[in-house]
Amino acid sequence: MDSNVYVPKLAKIIAIKEEVTGARPIKTFRTQFLTEFDFAQKCGQCAMLSVFGKGESMISVSSSPLIKDYLQFSILKSGRVTTALHDMKVDDIIGIRGPYGNGFPIEDWRGKNLVFIGGGIGLAPIWSVLQTALGLKKDYGKIMLIYGARTSKDIVYKEELEELSKENTVHLSVDVEEEGWNEFVGFVPQNVTDKKPSPKNAIAITCGPPIMIKFVIQALGELGFKDDQIFTTVENKMKCGIGICGRCNIGMHYVCKDGPVYSWAELKELPQEY
Amino acid sequence: MEKILTKKLLPKWLKKLEDYTLYAPQFTDDFWSFEVAENPEKIELNHPNTVQAPKKIIYPQRDVFFEFTNPDGEPPEIKEILPDDNASIIIGVRPCDAKALTLLDKVFNDGYKDEYYWKRRDNTALIGLACSTPPSPNCFCTSVGGSPHAKTGLDILMTDMGDRYHIESVTKTGDKLINTGGKGLFTNPTAKDKKDVQHIHDESEKKITRAIKDVKKIPSVLTGMFESPFWDEEAMSCLRCGICTFLCPTCHCFDISDEVTSISPVKGQRVRTWDTCQFPDFTMHSSGHNPRPDKASRLRQRIMHKYQYFVEKFGEYQCTGCGRCVSKCPVGIDIIEVLNKVRDHG
Repeated sequence: MDSNVYVPKLAKIIAIKEEVTGARPIKTFRTQFLTEFDFAQKCGQCAMLSVFGKGESMISVSSSPLIKDYLQFSILKSGRVTTALHDMKVDDIIGIRGPYGNGFPIEDWRGKNLVFIGGGIGLAPIWSVLQTALGLKKDYGKIMLIYGARTSKDIVYKEELEELSKENTVHLSVDVEEEGWNEFVGFVPQNVTDKKPSPKNAIAITCGPPIMIKFVIQALGELGFKDDQIFTTVENKMKCGIGICGRCNIGMHYVCKDGPVYSWAELKELPQEY
Repeated sequence: MEKILTKKLLPKWLKKLEDYTLYAPQFTDDFWSFEVAENPEKIELNHPNTVQAPKKIIYPQRDVFFEFTNPDGEPPEIKEILPDDNASIIIGVRPCDAKALTLLDKVFNDGYKDEYYWKRRDNTALIGLACSTPPSPNCFCTSVGGSPHAKTGLDILMTDMGDRYHIESVTKTGDKLINTGGKGLFTNPTAKDKKDVQHIHDESEKKITRAIKDVKKIPSVLTGMFESPFWDEEAMSCLRCGICTFLCPTCHCFDISDEVTSISPVKGQRVRTWDTCQFPDFTMHSSGHNPRPDKASRLRQRIMHKYQYFVEKFGEYQCTGCGRCVSKCPVGIDIIEVLNKVRDHG
């Protein structure tokens, strides 16, 4: 790591994909460093993205660490920096510093079945784990994905999900009924209860809105998942990424450094401050 | 190394140290503040606690990280701006404020070394002044492991002995500063001098009237108080002005933002500025969700950070008992009273 932690590396946007349009648009960006640099992130780690003149925003890396050519970020247009990112074009330059945070302990999960449960943009932070497990297929057991969004238009990674469903179990849902939708209608936790993933030799990895995570964890508990079989990734407002600026803490933990990944066994011991 | 310096010779010593930028407490515009001292003759070390701690010299309120120019169609240019290499001396530092810097040291070197902080820290010598009488009516350093004559964090501790200073070097840097003074300035303390200094120090501790009793109990009591309605009551009068954290010698929270000076091409600076956990938008997500949505949760954060989380992490209170937050709170929120009540919750 360079001595000055606050100066980002420059990276070029090499591809942009519109995942979701409308009032809550999501785009996926692929970036490449201008000069060779091994970012060497772990699944679930984050990067601080810069748009010079607008500021910085902490975004989880959604591509697998197995991919060395580019970093991928799926970003919901939400605040000042993410709005600026949405206005950018291919070949535009951003700044990246990191990686930050602890990442998912995927080494410990070898041989286990993986149940991914995502809601909305919450699929992005766990997507790197899913892609890595697919890339190291013989190291892991069965993969199941339970994913939902407000409407079918809010679903991210549509083509990738289509591809994923060919060899793996994929259960999709939308919050309310809509024409032409043949899969589950209802909230993600309800779909978890409906599809009953088995806790046997399994790890559940979930991310989505805080209220969804809360009820997913409850549903998983009812299915027999133990607290240390459930993992999630938390977000809080961040500025420094290195546990100094003081705003992302949950109790004595800085989410940017000690998190963002927690097992439910760990998270339930912390104050409700996220 | 212990020496005696006649007060009249203080400017002479400081003039010998002209290679350093000298900061001293000065009374300007109705308040005491550490500022660059152009003329050592004018330095009088009889100040109460300065409104702001000397923290502001090591870790200024605004720090430029780098400049950027972002011309259309070309990669942005980034010019790193680090603090200069000038060596500085701060004279008249109170022991509480010196200890505060040792706490900031832990924060700014916790896995990552913050170049901006450390460049200044490593280049700044601290000459402290023991508090023969409490510089503030709200001093409570002795409650949190400090003392009015503590040497923690200092290179030299000076004690006022009337017409002379007792000067004790604590570090090699301190020795160097004394040696730079040359022969003829300092004398060696007599046995009586040493006894007198000891007496001044002992008496100074007795003059501190405010205290948190049984402070050791507090971190563990706090662990059970996260959900307590106590915080609503205590924070009721808070105006969320943030002065408590702005003046705190140990508070370190900051914001990072871009200041734009030109739109086409985009030019500007990335800056760090002090921020406070007492502001609502400090923790507010871009979605509008706020993990600390009210002043009760923000007061709780300030108290728990200083008296629980920091203790869990670094084994020390993140408070040195300077009393500034007590003296300057416009509505009288008093951390000493709050913590005494916390203790009684246990």
